[in-house]
Amino acid sequence: MKKRMISLIIVLIGIPAVILLGATVFSGVKYVYFTLIVSALSLAPFLISFEKKEHTVTYLVLIGVLTTLSVIGRLLFSVVPAFKPVSAMVVIAAMYFGPEAGFLTGALSALLSNFYFGQGPWTVFQMAAWGLIGFFSGLIAHRLKTSRIFLLLWGAVAGVAYSMLMDIWDAIFADGTVMLSRYLSFLVSSAGFTVMYALSNVVFLLVLAKPIGKMLERIQTKYGI
Amino acid sequence: MKAFGKLHPVTLLVYFVMMLAFSMFLRNPVTAGLSLLGSIAFCCTLTDKREKLEDLKFYLPLSALIVLTNPLVSHNGRTPLFFVNGNAFTLEAIWYGVFIAGMIAAVLLWSKAYSKIFTSDKFLYLFGRILPKTALILSVALRYVPLMKAQAARLKDAQKTLGLFSTGSIADNLIGTVKVYAALVAWSLENAVETGRHMKARGWNAGRRTAFSTFRFRFTDAVFLAVFAAAGTLLLLAAAKGTLYFGFYPAPTPLPTDPISVSAYALFGGLAFLPFFTETEESIRWTCLRSKI
Repeated sequence: MKKRMISLIIVLIGIPAVILLGATVFSGVKYVYFTLIVSALSLAPFLISFEKKEHTVTYLVLIGVLTTLSVIGRLLFSVVPAFKPVSAMVVIAAMYFGPEAGFLTGALSALLSNFYFGQGPWTVFQMAAWGLIGFFSGLIAHRLKTSRIFLLLWGAVAGVAYSMLMDIWDAIFADGTVMLSRYLSFLVSSAGFTVMYALSNVVFLLVLAKPIGKMLERIQTKYGI
Repeated sequence: MKAFGKLHPVTLLVYFVMMLAFSMFLRNPVTAGLSLLGSIAFCCTLTDKREKLEDLKFYLPLSALIVLTNPLVSHNGRTPLFFVNGNAFTLEAIWYGVFIAGMIAAVLLWSKAYSKIFTSDKFLYLFGRILPKTALILSVALRYVPLMKAQAARLKDAQKTLGLFSTGSIADNLIGTVKVYAALVAWSLENAVETGRHMKARGWNAGRRTAFSTFRFRFTDAVFLAVFAAAGTLLLLAAAKGTLYFGFYPAPTPLPTDPISVSAYALFGGLAFLPFFTETEESIRWTCLRSKI
């Protein structure tokens, strides 16, 4: 109960407080920091509640392997740029292991893959973005499992949302403040990537969701996880 | 040689966070330039010739792109050079583009140096105490990356004998990779559960967990941390007084040259070149030692 309260306080009071502080007291000074603090704060409640809960070690190793799988996907599919199964794997993990696992797989995939592709201040933002995709996929897991069209639609939405979120970071990073024209120009210049993200999510979910889902279900029943 | 990388992880993290924060925070051309030069010098000691060339091929077009596109986005500024669709293409916007390009390159290069120096073992050492379970997942994942790479290579070889990957077309390649990937998933999931069971059987979580580490907090670390704290505070104070302020629009303001600003530049320059000096000192000492043999 207590840790729940702490998480709630962070999400409901901490984040708005930081945004308000950023908008009023430090008006327009450094949005980069507030963006980073807000994304770090949105990571905190998930990680805190996860650390406090009881878990079997098998579950932890399984999450680790799912994270590796999504990162390895980024390395294996090197033929076409931006055509990667990372988000698809995060969604699949969330579908079968729930929102918490989805969040962890997403956030840690960002962290882990940046050990290979380069860490930076953006890692925090990326972790929050992918983590949230996993979390929300876990919340609507039932619908994703029953309706294939809904799943593919969700994949496309997640791809577009990810690209638009990362453009927010790029725009704020470049100017230090919020400049709508800059954001729009980033949106236009990254349109190709946005399409690729959405397309790769749809294709990979179409191809992988069923067979991998079957394997995950089998593992769950076989070992009783 | 990575003399700088031998410092304690805490010292290193403080340094990199400070350099990244100041590079983004102090919007002043002198500090931005110093940060860029310092990061270039540091990265030069960390990379070989091939990587330097690759970096050059990445950063030059990127910077040029930023400089050229900024006037298209931002039409502020007093000196219009020409008009595109009725929007001014101003000199100030070009200067601001140069500044942003330098700032972004500096942040990217500091991040690159961070990635090279702050390896995953240091990361796990620091965060393993605060978030033990998350760190466990991460270390499992880190171990599985090379394992799965090797397994993927074996799977790919096996698939080749079945006639996949034969034409080299993108479609063929994609289908083959999907097959390899699916096989990898099946293999690794079973493997994960087995690993988890092994860990449980061997008494995971039965006692206090210890972590292997070779990191020691030495006297040098204390000195470095003290220097970082003092320099950071002074720079923050200078920034808070507003003396370092530099505006680009509508026309560039005069460059701050009062005593406070100049000493802030000197201080920041010292900080930015600190890793480079540490590395160079180490390599000079190494050459001297070798020449004596």
